[in-house]
Amino acid sequence: MRDVLTKVASFAYAGLIYGFIFLPVAVLVLFSFQDGRLPVPPFNGFSLQWYEAVFADRKLMAALANSFVVAIVSSLIACLLGFLAAYALARYKLPGSALQRGLLIAPMTVSYLIIALGLLTVLNTFGIKLSLWTVGIGHVVINLPLCFAIIYSSMGDHHINIERAARDLGANDFKVMALVTAPMLMPSILAAFFLSVTFSWDEFIIAFLLSRFDVTLPVEIWSLLRSGLNPKTNAIGSLVFLVSVAVLAVLELTLFGKTKKS
Amino acid sequence: MSTITLEDTERRKAWGFVAPALLWTVAFFIVPFLFMAAMSLWSRQSGQIIRVWNLDNYFAFFEKDSLFKGLTNSLEITLIVTVLSVLLAYPLAWIIAERVPKRFQRLALIMAVLPFWTSYVVRSYSWLLVLSRNGVINQTLMTFGLISEPLEIASNRTATVIGFVHFFVMLLTLTIYANLIQLSPNYRRAAADLGANALQTFWHVILPLTLPGIMTGAFLTFVLCIGDYVTPQILGGNNELVLPQIIMLQLGRRADFPMAAALSIILMLAVTVAYVLCARWLKIERA
Amino acid sequence: MITSVNGAFARRFFSSVAAISLVAVSTVSVPAPAFATEELNALVWCDHTDPALVEPFEKANDVKVNLKDYEGTGAALSILEQSQPGDWDVLVIDGVDVQRAVGLDLLAEIPADTLPTADIFPEVRMEANNTKDGKTYAVTEKFGYNTISYDKTKVDPADMKDLSIIWSDKYKGRIALYDYYLPMIGLVALGLGKKTAELSDADMPAITEKLSEMKKVSKQVSDVVSSQTALATGEVDILVGGGEWITAALSGEKPNLDWTVPDQGAVRWAQSIGVMKASKKQDLALKFVQYIVSPEGQARLATSSCYWAMPANMKAGEHLTDAQKAALRWNDQAEYLKKTQLYPIPSAELDQKMQDAWTDMMQQ
Repeated sequence: MRDVLTKVASFAYAGLIYGFIFLPVAVLVLFSFQDGRLPVPPFNGFSLQWYEAVFADRKLMAALANSFVVAIVSSLIACLLGFLAAYALARYKLPGSALQRGLLIAPMTVSYLIIALGLLTVLNTFGIKLSLWTVGIGHVVINLPLCFAIIYSSMGDHHINIERAARDLGANDFKVMALVTAPMLMPSILAAFFLSVTFSWDEFIIAFLLSRFDVTLPVEIWSLLRSGLNPKTNAIGSLVFLVSVAVLAVLELTLFGKTKKS
Repeated sequence: MSTITLEDTERRKAWGFVAPALLWTVAFFIVPFLFMAAMSLWSRQSGQIIRVWNLDNYFAFFEKDSLFKGLTNSLEITLIVTVLSVLLAYPLAWIIAERVPKRFQRLALIMAVLPFWTSYVVRSYSWLLVLSRNGVINQTLMTFGLISEPLEIASNRTATVIGFVHFFVMLLTLTIYANLIQLSPNYRRAAADLGANALQTFWHVILPLTLPGIMTGAFLTFVLCIGDYVTPQILGGNNELVLPQIIMLQLGRRADFPMAAALSIILMLAVTVAYVLCARWLKIERA
Repeated sequence: MITSVNGAFARRFFSSVAAISLVAVSTVSVPAPAFATEELNALVWCDHTDPALVEPFEKANDVKVNLKDYEGTGAALSILEQSQPGDWDVLVIDGVDVQRAVGLDLLAEIPADTLPTADIFPEVRMEANNTKDGKTYAVTEKFGYNTISYDKTKVDPADMKDLSIIWSDKYKGRIALYDYYLPMIGLVALGLGKKTAELSDADMPAITEKLSEMKKVSKQVSDVVSSQTALATGEVDILVGGGEWITAALSGEKPNLDWTVPDQGAVRWAQSIGVMKASKKQDLALKFVQYIVSPEGQARLATSSCYWAMPANMKAGEHLTDAQKAALRWNDQAEYLKKTQLYPIPSAELDQKMQDAWTDMMQQ
């Protein structure tokens, strides 16, 4: 009897929290189909006009492409640098390695706003123009600690023997890394990569402060918001959400689903 | 002799691997931070940056109520958010780990973090629509006759806190679940054998063992929450300003980089204090 | 065996990564559309970012106009300070701040005969602001009012005739304040019977007191869009600092929104546009300015997506529909112009005090 009660209470609680978690998303998606200019109740009827408006918006589409490029490139760099550093620190005894680890992780404990402001100060001092490149530099700064931490923590000592074997067979370091270590760590490298793509894709304040004419999606949405309440914002938000979920589902079913079983 | 040279080349190689990451961090994180720290000691008067070292900005922070209150607002909101998020997320993580059948756990977890993939800016804006006087919550409650006047839950601290808690419940559910799932059922069995009831087991065994997970999550929440500009700016209705909003005001309204830099250093000190308090639970380990 | 399989996988993976990054890098390095041969950089208020306004100019002149929008002169000067000379070609700035920009040697002289001065409403030509020592540095392009917007079905329109309503508690909790200190302090000053042009340090205590009373009865302090949203969704019924630029774009959907100029008057804003002195494309920049103040450009600017407001060029009327003119209240302008005063023009020190007073108010 008590068991049934706790079970009911558990599921009721879970239901409530799930409701809370999904409430804004549900409202967002619902009112992206609003027939009218105001994305608030009452719901006037179903219309796809705001989706058409999104696809017709040149600036929004450019921002979408910019976000994609910045996310992919900055995550690749972050993963590569993070992997190399993790390899060196896990496999070699270097002086001050604790300090080096601390230094690499440090940006994680600092607010994005501060990272952006610091970079802005330096860029201004040296007269470097703001662009998508500067945004990308900022995104590598925030994602490098993440990639390093994830990859480093998965570099178990049990891999050492395989690497040693490869080396004994005449492989040099780069070969060992590229052909032995990286494939063995592929699940965590991919996890680091996709996590950092997600962060870069969604990051606002660095992209806002370090960009000029070409902006990323969150910054474009921000200025869209400033030009008026509009179901178009709902439509682009819903689109991004649905596409991300689709990508996530595909990844889950192919890459991560398999690695979990092995 | 030969072993020494071997070690030397090995070491040089290792430095080569770690150097790019270190250089990147130094060039684009440490150096900018030092620049900013230096900048915070300059000041801006009558539209000119005066390059004389002084502590005026820091004195101004303690003298001007509007600036100092930015910090207290930030701390209050962040603490409320952190505590609320932990209290709401822990039971959910526990239910997923203990009550949901094993094969559905991954799905349950993914569902719990799915809204994370709506754009952050859009998510805050969406809460504004949900919470407003004509929003879904007020309209629903009024339709069912539960309230006669709309609740004032948009454009104030309540709205900011709700927006934040929404995000961090997702994050904390993940970190706490990851911790719970590592606990061996043997602990619970042992506690039961020793005559502990469910509550005692939780209090004396499960909770202490999951504390590192909770603290890691709480610290992450603290860092992300106290430094965020978007949520309070969209949801807070400017009825009170948090530190990041004040920093952005210095930049946006008067190009006062030195003041913005000084306020950022203060923000960072707040995070450092939080880090020191949580430090013994925070570490990264290799598998 | 295992390593060779992994090796093949790794090679595939790395080569695809390399391919992706190559594609990515090449996309980044050629961001501009291939058709535009030249670029023009303009620092503007958000109404200029409407493609409907800029695209005709881009097509006609085979140029790409890069726009960056800001809110408030402080923000614009902040951006300019962070830039290199020559980064910007065109500047849109509050009319009252043109002299500040001229003082900083930012603006180039515009030959007077290249501008349609005779077509511009005489009240908004603002020679005192746009010219110095007989030289023209900017031209007024758009104007409007920071006054009181309201929902006429929720409040008594008669109450809106008296500015003191903004700090009375009759509509407590149903008022939004527009988050820009200059016009708002101007409005408070008018409510206190002061002239915006004559504000000094001595007026600040009284203004600060009223700001605090205003804050007590208000629901929120918000930027352009949150203000508009709040009014349109019924979050608030009154917007102090609003005007046609808030309600005109919504006039079709929300006919219950209205605005008025109270008996004590209201604050008038005006935007001016000019060519940057350090610009390396003076001719093209001037061409853009000429386009913006031409009747066609003016009509598009008046009804651009971010906010609507009166065009400075009278001839724009020929390109606007009657409904658009009605929403802009084309025919009532003479009366409004008479009753309204320009933004305060504070010294740097007073400006700082005003900003502090405003921030203090928000933190109460």
